[in-house]
Amino acid sequence: MIVVENVTKTYGKTIALRNVSFKFDDEHVIAIMGENGAGKTTLLKICTGILPFNRGTILVDGFSIVKDSIKAREKIGYLPEMPDMYERLTGREFLFYIASLRKIDNAEQKINELTKMIGIYDFLDYEIGSYSKGMKQKISMTSAILHNPKNLLLDEPVYGLDPLTSRAIQNFIKKKKGTTVIATHSTQLVEKIADLVYIVMRGRVVNFNKVETLVSKYGSIEEAYFHIKDEINV
Amino acid sequence: MFETTKIIILENSRNLFKKMKETPVLYFMFISMIFFSILIFSFATYFLINIETSLDVSLEDIFFAIFFVFMLKTVADFHNNFVKSSPLSYTLSTQKNQKRTVFEIFLAVLSIQLIIWFMFSLMYLLSLSFFGVNVIFPLEYIIFTLGVVAAVLIGFSTCINFFNSKKYRLLPTFILLGFFFEIRHPLYIIFTMPLAFLHTVWSINNSISSYLYINRKERTKEKGQVKKRSIIKAIFFRETVVLWRDKLLFSFIFTSVTTGLFSGYLFLYGDELLIPKNFQAAIGGILPSMFIFLSIYIVVMYTAVFPSLNLFLNEEKTMWLVRHLPVRNDILVFGKTSALSLCFLTAIPVVPYLIIFVGIENIFFLLWFLCFSYIAGVIISIPLGIKYVGKKSDIILLYSVAMILFVILGAMAFLRGIINSFFDYPIIIYVLILLLEIVIFYVSLKLSSKILDLHY
Repeated sequence: MIVVENVTKTYGKTIALRNVSFKFDDEHVIAIMGENGAGKTTLLKICTGILPFNRGTILVDGFSIVKDSIKAREKIGYLPEMPDMYERLTGREFLFYIASLRKIDNAEQKINELTKMIGIYDFLDYEIGSYSKGMKQKISMTSAILHNPKNLLLDEPVYGLDPLTSRAIQNFIKKKKGTTVIATHSTQLVEKIADLVYIVMRGRVVNFNKVETLVSKYGSIEEAYFHIKDEINV
Repeated sequence: MFETTKIIILENSRNLFKKMKETPVLYFMFISMIFFSILIFSFATYFLINIETSLDVSLEDIFFAIFFVFMLKTVADFHNNFVKSSPLSYTLSTQKNQKRTVFEIFLAVLSIQLIIWFMFSLMYLLSLSFFGVNVIFPLEYIIFTLGVVAAVLIGFSTCINFFNSKKYRLLPTFILLGFFFEIRHPLYIIFTMPLAFLHTVWSINNSISSYLYINRKERTKEKGQVKKRSIIKAIFFRETVVLWRDKLLFSFIFTSVTTGLFSGYLFLYGDELLIPKNFQAAIGGILPSMFIFLSIYIVVMYTAVFPSLNLFLNEEKTMWLVRHLPVRNDILVFGKTSALSLCFLTAIPVVPYLIIFVGIENIFFLLWFLCFSYIAGVIISIPLGIKYVGKKSDIILLYSVAMILFVILGAMAFLRGIINSFFDYPIIIYVLILLLEIVIFYVSLKLSSKILDLHY
């Protein structure tokens, strides 16, 4: 479970998140939607400890991301929007590197299983620098779930993936136990796998609802998104 | 008209101003050093004009030095703005003629070099007139300016044809350069400028194939030793794999060996080669030991400072990885620094090659000085690399570290004389200094992990 309380984050004079609070529980797949620059990626980066924040508290399974950052980070798996990795390592070397740093047992077996599921196994001995965008995304996704984290934070998880892998990832997320948070622009993805959705605009949460409630009220998540956006603008 | 030229100049100037705002102290130091260097050059010119020396510095020598520097700068600028420029794919995908785009990049690079030339030459001339030297040489100034233009033409075609599958296209440039250095007359360069221009035009016509050649995707298969390791060993392995695959370790060893040989040779014959006869008696004695000092300094800059700074500077885009993994900052810093032990091994070859010239009796001090300098280089570089994390291989940062290290090593070289004259067993003092330095090294690493925390 991840609890975000009254968090404010600024970049210089720009306010990215204004006193926001979230509760990402263990029972639901939670989506965060919003326009570009709304603060979705910033929120995920703050929850993983990548970015500092100005005010508020973040607890990951009860551990503060600031004070107990190592324990908190042990419990998180993270997929960034644009996964930059060490380009001179091969995919296999990179995953073993992550496995070593996360102290994962049976690393070889887990790497083989996951990369076969994600569809990158045949390319593991090639340098990451020579991968396509989708292949990098697959390696990054594997590294995020390698330690079977209780809390999974995914920024555009199926972006750049082929339909087969995209479906495999969606099935994995549906089956996974624990907290899963997805930041995405894809309304179809939200409808398919999310239970709850936060809509964020200009650093504030403007709506929080069940996906099925929004779909039954507006017909689809896309329609719901535009209605809510219009209401806010008015 | 000239959209690409305008964009490149705008972006370059904005980058410069942004960096100046972000790191004002560094840039203040850098600008001060530029002024200082120009003053030193002016003073040296005044000095050479007013005294009789056997040192023969001709106008041709200066011309070729300027020509060579601007040629290198052009190659570097064109590499950044064309060969390895990712945003360029947008411009090249528009309906605008691609060769025209490359020509506009050429204009941008030419403008940048001319701005630099006029700015620096003006400052140099002003400081010369400050020393009371006559600076009215209009014809020479025009020839020098044309030399800069020729350097841009040659540098431009060199860069285009070097990064191409058909390397033989470099042949005309090499022939032209060969004649330049054989005939060694500025006017020859000026008269052959139309040829250089024609080759540049021809190169522009073939430039797109260079762009495609460099930006092609090739799947590179590597077989590494993959297994689960302890955290520090895993970080050590990652760093050394990169050093190995980028072939930096060979480059370090090559530098150590050639620096040892070259400076050893200068140690023996530098007096005759570089010092005017009427000065030799007065200051010649200092020079040989200076060469040994500089030799260690150069090797340490290349094998310690450069990789230590890059340990963290290169983490710009991969900081998300370092940040979200459950690894303590001090372990991360220690792990990364441990990779420098391999770089240290590549610095050792400088000592045996120096010994060929300076004699085996100096081996203890040389090894001690190498260790001392190496650790000093790392002590300075690691915290600064972390402080400026994300600013990849900033030349100004490297320059600042070089200056700091120069002062520290200079002070130690000076202290050596005092230690040797005041102590019967100087070896004990040297060992104690090294032990003290290791303690400072440990403190520096702890401080570095705190600085990494401060970023949070």
